[in-house]
Amino acid sequence: MADIESALLEIIKENAVGLTGEPTRETSIADLGIDSFAVVEIIYEVEEKLGIEVPFNANENPLANMKSVGDLIDAVKKLSGQA
Amino acid sequence: MNGKGRRVVVTGLGAVCATGANVDEFWANGIAATCGTQTRTIRANDGTQITTPVAQVDGFAERAASLGRDIGRADAFSKFAAAAADEAVADSGIDFDNGLGGRTATIIGTGIGGQSSLEDGYINMLSLDKRPHPLTILRLIPNAAASHLSIRFGLRGPAFAISSACASGAHSIGVAADLIRAGTSDAAIAGASEAIITKGALQAWKAMHILSDELCRPFSKNRKGLIIGEGAGILVLEEYEHARARGAKIYAEIVGFGMNSDGKDMINPAVEGAADAMRMALGGVQVPSAENIYINAHGTGTLMNDPTETKAIRSVFGADADDLVVSSTKAMHGHLLGAAGGVESIMAIKAIQSDIVPPTINYDVPDPECDLDIVPNEARNRRVDLAISNSFAFGGLNAVVAFGRV
Repeated sequence: MADIESALLEIIKENAVGLTGEPTRETSIADLGIDSFAVVEIIYEVEEKLGIEVPFNANENPLANMKSVGDLIDAVKKLSGQA
Repeated sequence: MNGKGRRVVVTGLGAVCATGANVDEFWANGIAATCGTQTRTIRANDGTQITTPVAQVDGFAERAASLGRDIGRADAFSKFAAAAADEAVADSGIDFDNGLGGRTATIIGTGIGGQSSLEDGYINMLSLDKRPHPLTILRLIPNAAASHLSIRFGLRGPAFAISSACASGAHSIGVAADLIRAGTSDAAIAGASEAIITKGALQAWKAMHILSDELCRPFSKNRKGLIIGEGAGILVLEEYEHARARGAKIYAEIVGFGMNSDGKDMINPAVEGAADAMRMALGGVQVPSAENIYINAHGTGTLMNDPTETKAIRSVFGADADDLVVSSTKAMHGHLLGAAGGVESIMAIKAIQSDIVPPTINYDVPDPECDLDIVPNEARNRRVDLAISNSFAFGGLNAVVAFGRV
């Protein structure tokens, strides 16, 4: 399996339209400018590239309760059993 | 909301298809008798392919990439619609702020919708053992183009797709005009888009034995069928007083709209249905002298359509049918299916604006069954006061839009 943290940062970089500069663990989720399309795409990429299944409903933004990119990385690691 | 006496005019035009990346190019090629069809090999992403004549849009990728992130993730049919709508809106100079957006309809037809998204999804699943992309549904739904345009321009009036095969575009323009006439809306973005030049779709069309294997030759005795095209034709429609009050450039008025169904057969067209739809479109119209009437025919170049349409035109116009002119521009831009009524309405409107009638190209053998003046092979200078766009779809669905000089 790819390194989850670097793979996820790459995925975020590709899909976060509001992002300026490089994303880090400290980058705020609110600053990523992620819209409803991008949420679906990010999760698809995570599933494809990291080989895990993310349980979520597209009408509920799974990022809503996360503050930073670090929270997202930790959540994905947990799903993959690497936390 | 009193719809009484409200008139509808066309104030913006946008087109993209094999014979033009915009309206100016499309019209210049139209009067230059440019043939946009070519035999090409179309490949699917599993490596299979089909070789057949098509009228494909070239060099669109860069423009599509410039249409923004939302449209960038959409199906090709939404991309064509956005490109044509951007042109039409810019052309009209209309401003949807200050409340007009809430009173503007978005009616964008398509025969199929997101064909390539559907096909890619199936090939991924069935041949490549991959999952479909998560946006597959949002890409392929036939209302995707209408939804994208309503979001793109902030339009909050009625928005939907009309899907009536090859009559989708004419239905969309006619219904949008009716919405304005009725007072439901004050303006509309109306037209249609189609993008089905894919391996699977062409294979299915080929299975119907209705595609030409060389050129498309409408009304010619040696016609062998239609050639599939792609693209979009979009109009900005406005209530007449609204357009006048803002000093808009007015191309033409939508003076009539007729729609009905044959109620007979999925494939074979009926003379009476087509004729009645034309009569309906001309119902309240002050019909000028036949010398000043142009009909942009459905003219698919199939064995059945062209003589049926000829008889229908004769039935409606009687002896005048020999004095008016008819042409099928499909031999140039291909059959855009759902979007045919969109780009062909633009041909009709430009004929009024320019007093030039675009030709029926690839015509070489007269057919006594198709004996109207079909403006063979070369455009003709001629005053046009009334231009009619015919669309007769598989399934017996007829839609006819009549445009008049303002």
